[in-house]
Parts: sequence; C-alpha cells; structure tokens
Amino acid sequence: MTDFLQNCIDGVMFGSGYALLALGFTLLFGVMKRLNLSFGPSIMLGAYAGTWVYLNFSQNVVLVLLATVITTVAVGIYVERLCFWAVRRDATIASMVSSFAIWMQLEEVAMHLLPERTYPFPTFFTSTVIDIGPFFVRSEHISMFLLTLMLLALLHLFLFRTRPGLALRAVADNPLASAYMGINSSSILFLAFAVVSAIGGLAGFLILSADSQVTPYFGLWATFKGLIAMMLGGMGSLPGAILGGLLLGVVEANAFWYGGPVIRDISAYLLLFVMLIVRPGGLVGQRIVARQQAAYERV
Amino acid sequence: MLKVDNIVTRYGAIEALKGLSLEAREGKVTCLLGPNGAGKTTTLFTIAGILNSHSGRITLGKDNITNFPAPRIVRKGIALVPENRLIFPQMSVEENLIAGAFARPRKDQPAITADLKGIYERFPRLKERSAQFGGTLSGGEQQMLAIGRALMARPKILMMDEPSLGLAPIIVQEIFDIISLLNKEGVSILLVEQNARMALKVAHHIYLLEGGKVTFNGNPREMQQDEAIQRAYLGAGLT
Repeated sequence: MTDFLQNCIDGVMFGSGYALLALGFTLLFGVMKRLNLSFGPSIMLGAYAGTWVYLNFSQNVVLVLLATVITTVAVGIYVERLCFWAVRRDATIASMVSSFAIWMQLEEVAMHLLPERTYPFPTFFTSTVIDIGPFFVRSEHISMFLLTLMLLALLHLFLFRTRPGLALRAVADNPLASAYMGINSSSILFLAFAVVSAIGGLAGFLILSADSQVTPYFGLWATFKGLIAMMLGGMGSLPGAILGGLLLGVVEANAFWYGGPVIRDISAYLLLFVMLIVRPGGLVGQRIVARQQAAYERV
Repeated sequence: MLKVDNIVTRYGAIEALKGLSLEAREGKVTCLLGPNGAGKTTTLFTIAGILNSHSGRITLGKDNITNFPAPRIVRKGIALVPENRLIFPQMSVEENLIAGAFARPRKDQPAITADLKGIYERFPRLKERSAQFGGTLSGGEQQMLAIGRALMARPKILMMDEPSLGLAPIIVQEIFDIISLLNKEGVSILLVEQNARMALKVAHHIYLLEGGKVTFNGNPREMQQDEAIQRAYLGAGLT
C-alpha cells in the first residue's frame, strides 16, 4: 500500500509535465478543431536551442530557459503559418498531414545541427530527496509540480480575465459567431500558437531539466504523451487535459514499479484503449461533448 | 441609411443575388420576406462582410462599405443577430454579452459596462442567468441573449435573421414585442422573416425577395392590397 501511494505521488509529480503537454494540444485543438502533430518536435527543437546556448555560451539557467521558450515559439509560429494559416480551415486532414511533414523536417534539422544526438540539458533544480512521513519526494519533481501549478494559474487568468483570452475562448466555442462579433479568428489562432508554444517550451524545459538530457526522440515522446493525456482527459477540455496528464503519470509510475520500463510504456497505450472503448469522450470530454451537442440541437 | 445597390453575390458558380437593391431607413423596421433560397440570408451576409459581393455597392450613410471584412463592418455599426442565434454555448451569459462588444475600442470600457447594465435591465432573465453557460438557456432566452449580444456593439443598424425560428408562439410574440420596443427607442432594424404575419405587424417597409431579386417593395398596407401576394404569403383568411 505504501508502495502504491508512493507511486501515486511520483506519478502526480511527473504527470504534471504530461498535463502541460496535453494542455498545449487541447488548447490548439479547441481553437482550431485541428491536430498539430508537430507540437512535440517544435519543443524538441527549442530544447536543442537551449542546450546549444548552454554548451556554447552560458551556464545561466535563465538564458537557457529563454532560448528554449523563444525558439519553441518561433518554431510554433513557423508551423502555424505553414500547416494551419496556409491550409484552408476546413481541410483538417491536410493540416494534420502537413504538420506530420513538418515534424519530420524538424527532426532532420535537429539531427543535422547537433549530430551527436544526445546532449546534456542543464538541471535547474538541485536534486535532493525530501521525506514526508513514510514517503519521499525528489525536490526537482516538487519544483516541476509547483511551477506547473503556477503556469496553470497564469493560463487561467489569461483565458478568463483578459480580452484576448475571451476572444480565444469565443473562437474555440463558436467560430462563426465570433466572426459576427468582429473577432479576427486568424490573429487569434496566431496568438493561440504563440501562447501554446510558450507553454510547450516551458514544459519541455521542466521535463528535460528533471531528465538532464535531450535527444531527437523527445519530439516523438512529447507528442505521444501529450496526445495520450489529452485523449484520456477529453479533447478540447482544459481540466480534462490536466486530469489526463496526472492519470497517465500515476498509471505509468505504478506500471513501472510493478512491471518495469517495458510494462510502463505498454500501460500508457493500454490505458488509452480502455478509455477510448469505455468513455470515448475522455474523462471530462464526454459530458462537454454531449452538452455542446444538446446546445446545437436546440438551436 | 443603409443602401444596397444592385449587388450580385455568388456561391461558386451559383448566383444567389442577381442585382438586388434595397434600403433600410433610419429609425425604421425594414423587413425582407420570401421563400427559402430567395437570398434573404445571403443579403444579410453580404452586408455583414461574411460574403463578398461580385458587383454592386453597399453604403452606410455616406460611407461605401462594400466588401469590407466582417470586423470592420461591425465597427462601422452594423450588428447581426444570426439565424439559429449562434450564441457561445460554453461561455457564461455575461461573457456572451461582453464578446458582443469586442469590436469596440478598449477605451470604451466604462460605456461597455454601462451598456451591460442596460441589457440586464431590458432582459432581467439574462441577469438571473448571467453566470450560467449560454448553452443551458432555453430557445427564447438564447434569442434574447443573441439580441443583447448584438446590441452590445451599439449598432446603428441591427440585422436580425429569422428571430422567430424554432420558437414557441408565445415566445415569438415576446421576441416581436422586443423588436418593436427596440425600434421605438430608435434602433434601426433590418429583419429577415418567414413569419409574414408577425413581420407585417412591426415592419414599416417590406421587400419581397424571390430568386435573388426584389419582386415587391412597399409598406405593409400596399402589400396587403396586392391580392396575388396576399394569397402567396399571408393565406386567404387575413384581412
């Protein structure tokens, strides 16, 4: 029992990183109703820029963080212009496929610029183990968890207390009506990409500095974990993304403890299948999907 | 005030408006009647900047606003209450209303807050439900919300696309009461309706549309005197 609870604590801590990735996916999906597969790879490229600054210029953590976030935002905007702005809004499959093509392109770029593949990533957090009763927690996981909470609070303020945040939710909620209100959806989409990429860059920085290394596979990893966590929670739902991320973290931590690394990776996909069969709308999604349908059927 | 002059609007190869002209006068209720596919909604969409016209001219007062993008049209003072209301289902009633003022500049904030209060006074039921999601409102309340949201833009002219669609008769009456009240307060209205009887009661001027053209234009009395129109649109029993 103690083991299980310990795993849950670890899972929640690490799951907060998944939650951030899922948040990025779900926010973009909510606004565009399209999937951006190259979200993970654009974070990977940002992380490579961060590690490049770290190796060549400065050990300063803030500079590395800035390099990571700014590069991720720049790559995110590049993806938005090519895959989503240039492709017609209703061509959802075309956008998804082109975001996949950009993914491959970004990985190639990373491999050519930094051919050694595995690079150290600066650890921002000093690693100590903190005892809480019978349990223990790694300090970098606590920092990651707390920073995630802070980021969530900021995002919430942005979405619910500011004008651009309101416009963003309006476009996500009813694109046609938001156009009638005089909201320019293409500039809102651009804004959404910038915000989401900044979150992604921060998430990447937090996850990688807990890992202390970056590889070109981080893009694939981030896209997979983010997508799975989003599907678990429910597409387009922000609370769902957080819950999905934490659930994924907890399940993986337990699977790792009781079964080892291979079982951990399988457990994520198994969990996704079970969820898609039992609750296709995800933890939170189904309710919202049903309510939305009800609203549209009534009109 | 709002003048549409000989506009042609196409969906691909299909010509939906074939040289349509009309005028909505200041302080009046102007009504577009006609069967499905006559081009009523297309006319509103072309004015609102959601569709581009192929030729022709749209003017508001002295300004030529032909083919302006939608956000600019809203800023010019033309607001649309869309067909099926199209409220934001997952935003609160209050947020729906605030979104309606989105085209107004940031420095308008005190006036926007005052207008919000005004909307709540006009529609007390929206105030009761201000924290609820828009999607949880009844059809009639959603229609009030859509009207309130459009008013938040402080429009010079309010365009309404079939506000009675899908509502119970008693609610339809309520919506039309709101329309005539708004008009008495000086709001100019361009109304698209299929419910000809209700429209005739509030309209000052009527345009009949068919196949993308105006086939009749006159005031309600002139319309009722025209026997052919009366048979087609109002049924035999109406006097």
